[in-house]
Amino acid sequence: MARILFLVIAGVGLTSALSTVLSRNLVRAAVSLAGFFFTVACLFILLEAEFLAALQVLIYVGAVSILLMFGIMLTRGVQGTDLVSGPSAARLPGIVVGLVVFAVLGYAIFEEKGLRTQYSWGALDERTAIARGSKEPGSPLRSAVNNMGKVVGVELMTRYVIAFELAGLLLTAALVGAVAVAHREEDETRSTGSGVPPEKPEPTADKPNP
Amino acid sequence: MGSDIPLSWFLLFAAATFAIGIIGVITRKNPIAVLMAIEIMLSAANVNLVAFWRYGPERLDSGPIAGIVLAIMVITVAAAEVAVGIGLVILCYRRWQAADVDRYDSMAG
Repeated sequence: MARILFLVIAGVGLTSALSTVLSRNLVRAAVSLAGFFFTVACLFILLEAEFLAALQVLIYVGAVSILLMFGIMLTRGVQGTDLVSGPSAARLPGIVVGLVVFAVLGYAIFEEKGLRTQYSWGALDERTAIARGSKEPGSPLRSAVNNMGKVVGVELMTRYVIAFELAGLLLTAALVGAVAVAHREEDETRSTGSGVPPEKPEPTADKPNP
Repeated sequence: MGSDIPLSWFLLFAAATFAIGIIGVITRKNPIAVLMAIEIMLSAANVNLVAFWRYGPERLDSGPIAGIVLAIMVITVAAAEVAVGIGLVILCYRRWQAADVDRYDSMAG
């Protein structure tokens, strides 16, 4: 049952990923990307990481896809034809590189022998059960899966607190930097160009929108 | 023969989506499409992290949710990367008046 569910979800995910990469219409590609993120969230649920699935839906489907959609809308051409993006000259090398990477990864997945003290994970068919009716009471993994939100909060505040603070610093710097980068030229042209000589004659004249 | 999903299926799915992402990064011309392909690759890495967390042996010295926290960090970095990437794409679009990575040939000005 779970295998059939996985195959269906993986099929939908691979199809939407392929359509993201191959479709010529960028808006369609962005919608397919949202679908792909949703299937990844479904895989997280199959892996019993429901907290991460909710996070994936909130951040990727809710924010990143919409941000990419805004980027597509903001950079479409004056005639509106830049929305359709054809393949570049590197089509054949790209496909060759992708197939070679997939072949190498698949070989590594199936030919992995494992360390001497460990079992090989290439032939790992079962996971340790975390159902409530199982025998041993106090497995840490099981209690973590059963109250994931609490455990994530506690671990982020104790064991991974430095990584947590660094992630906050990275987010702040990235957001401030993104706003600064995207707004600098507009401010320079607005301040009558006393400091920097303009390189283009009138960059703001034929823009459709700020 | 249990009915559980083998670990290698998750790994194969992640490998396939990673390869698709690499194909997209190399073959697409629009910078936003390249960003989308990079996001696909990061999601493939996340699937691998969570699968190894769930199927791997329990290690008490690295905490019960090491894979989850690593995936959360990857999601954070991906969100920051998208924000900066969109800003840079808009800047490049203003500079060259085109959304085509083959025409972005200079870092000056």
